[in-house]
Amino acid sequence: MSLEESVDAPPVVETEAPVAEPIVVEAAPSFRPGPAGWVARGLVMAAAAALVLLFPATRGNVDVHIYTQAVIFAIIGLSLNVLLGYTGQISLGHQAFVGVGAFTSAYMVTVHGQPFVAAVGMAMVVGAVQALLLGIVSLRITGLYFALVTLAYGTMAEESLFNIQKLTGGSAGQPAPKPAGFTTDLRYYYLCLAFLAVVVWVDWRLMKTKGGRALSAVRENPRVAATFGTDVKVYTLMAFVVAGVFAGLGGALLAHNDTFVVRDLFNFQLALVFVIMTVVGGLRNRTGVVIGSAFFALIGKLFDVLFENGLHIPGLKALPKEYAPIVIGPMLLLFTLTRHPGGVGQQVRPLQRWLRGGRFSFKNTHESEVRVSDVRA
Amino acid sequence: MPNLLASRSALVATAIAVVVAALMAASGQKQALVIGVITGAGYGLVALGLVLIYKSSGVFNFAQGEFGTVAVYTLFRLHDKIGVPLLLAMLIGLAASMALALATERAVIRPLFDAPRVTLLVATAGVALLAISLELWLGEARLRFIQPALGRLDRISLFGVQVSDQRLLVLAALLMLAVLLGLFFSRTNLGLAILGVSQEPVATELMGISVRRLSSFTWALTGLLAGIAGMLTAPVVGSFGPGFLTFNALIPGFTAAVLGGMTSLPGAFVGGVIVGVAQSFAVSGFQDVPFLKEIPGPGAVMVFVILVVVLAIRPQGLLGKAS
Repeated sequence: MSLEESVDAPPVVETEAPVAEPIVVEAAPSFRPGPAGWVARGLVMAAAAALVLLFPATRGNVDVHIYTQAVIFAIIGLSLNVLLGYTGQISLGHQAFVGVGAFTSAYMVTVHGQPFVAAVGMAMVVGAVQALLLGIVSLRITGLYFALVTLAYGTMAEESLFNIQKLTGGSAGQPAPKPAGFTTDLRYYYLCLAFLAVVVWVDWRLMKTKGGRALSAVRENPRVAATFGTDVKVYTLMAFVVAGVFAGLGGALLAHNDTFVVRDLFNFQLALVFVIMTVVGGLRNRTGVVIGSAFFALIGKLFDVLFENGLHIPGLKALPKEYAPIVIGPMLLLFTLTRHPGGVGQQVRPLQRWLRGGRFSFKNTHESEVRVSDVRA
Repeated sequence: MPNLLASRSALVATAIAVVVAALMAASGQKQALVIGVITGAGYGLVALGLVLIYKSSGVFNFAQGEFGTVAVYTLFRLHDKIGVPLLLAMLIGLAASMALALATERAVIRPLFDAPRVTLLVATAGVALLAISLELWLGEARLRFIQPALGRLDRISLFGVQVSDQRLLVLAALLMLAVLLGLFFSRTNLGLAILGVSQEPVATELMGISVRRLSSFTWALTGLLAGIAGMLTAPVVGSFGPGFLTFNALIPGFTAAVLGGMTSLPGAFVGGVIVGVAQSFAVSGFQDVPFLKEIPGPGAVMVFVILVVVLAIRPQGLLGKAS
């Protein structure tokens, strides 16, 4: 298999081109579903659409607020996916990126009386700038120093940045009213859904550009990519900026969803939950990341429904719902990493293929994790 | 030759530390200096573990802090709740942190041996969060204040520099440990083998040394180091809670390791002292400076600034060779 091919295979759901296997086994080309098959597929899609679009309308405000959070978590998950999935770098300070976005937007709206759009735009710009600066510093040496820099940045933000009274309101927090026209929880939910759709679309299109293909080449083997004239650093920085923009957007939306930003929300555990939801969702798989992120946003709610008063395990303390994501999350993470590197995205792949008009089969769902042994952390 | 290099870098490091110390003593920050050296030595211990793991497995080990927290929790449980004698409880605590480190190596690191390094990094972060969450769930979320766990917590204030004998004890223990580690890595076969694996794994394997077994041993050793760091830091901080060593010492420890170029063991330890002193100087010294005193959380800012400056100006570390 020539390098050309592997570079040209973008890491998206549509193409099933594992690098190690030269034969691309898409759904067998001769197979076409019959009319009944198409109807069934249409029904499933309609049901999914109804679940996302109509179901929240039947629920109360408290529930819709949580669904909105799930949508916003999906945006944040996609942001981390750009880093972790496309560049192979990781941010352990993503809560700070998101938090800075949240506080920027709240500050613009509350203190300066700017409209929602300007505030969100500003949050995205600030997100891009901080990701770029941290990226420039940490890419001075090869290795995963971005993880260290963002980790220290996150703690710094938690202890220092978010305590600057004038910008964040200190421990009291900063109000962030919902934008005009979207003041009800339900309308705001649809607004966030629209933003998510845009983010998914931008992510998809970006990965189809020269830059996106260069990124997958860099991730698969930085040395080979560099030999072919790919400027590793520039493309990685570009990805950082994109991730920063998405994170800033996610933060701003989160702020206005809660209508109030408090610094205590953005702690280290949250950063790890972000990482976990992205990895468990399945790197480089938009559907998987969205499902994974939404799952971790909803897990508290889910826990409430399944186990009132927490999960009781004989001999142990009851597991309260606040701790559910951080107790269950790491277990799922380690399970995913060691057993199913493709995450949720890998599990839903047969369904996705079926929906697109292929046969329903579990063949070739395996995520081929690229093994790079010469790049030390 | 490497020995010479190591000793030269140790000299350079000591010189830097002395200069920093002299500067601070001159500016009337004796108190900050002493506290900084003591906390810094704790950071140094964490940094040593991080560098060891990095050299042997090529991983940034984010679970390092939690190995130590587990030791402290075990000690607290056994000693303060059940009434096991202190020394025995400490030994069991250290055994617990070593067991966690070994379990991490066996269950997480080894299955992912061929995986990209970022996957390993995520996995160690996952181990850290799992440990924190279990502590939160099973051990309550609140901070616990430490009854004298090591010596007395009298907080005797001497004129000039206030040092409790608790802190003196910690300092003495740390210095002794540093010397012991130095001897271990320069005199014993096992220590030399670990250094060998970190520099030339293939050659070491060819010399008939089992790299696998050494990897397990290295992880156990870092677990032990983290456990000691936790037990010594907790009484200095005065309280501990879920994830306390991760929040208190992991980032300074990494910064210290980066100061040592991620490869030098003495560099990491001295780096820890430098970070500790700088941090404690930021906390106490900034209060008198007009603009700087406005900064909330100066300690965390200082650590972040050191990390960024070192990476931006001298990414190979203060003592490292240019790669």
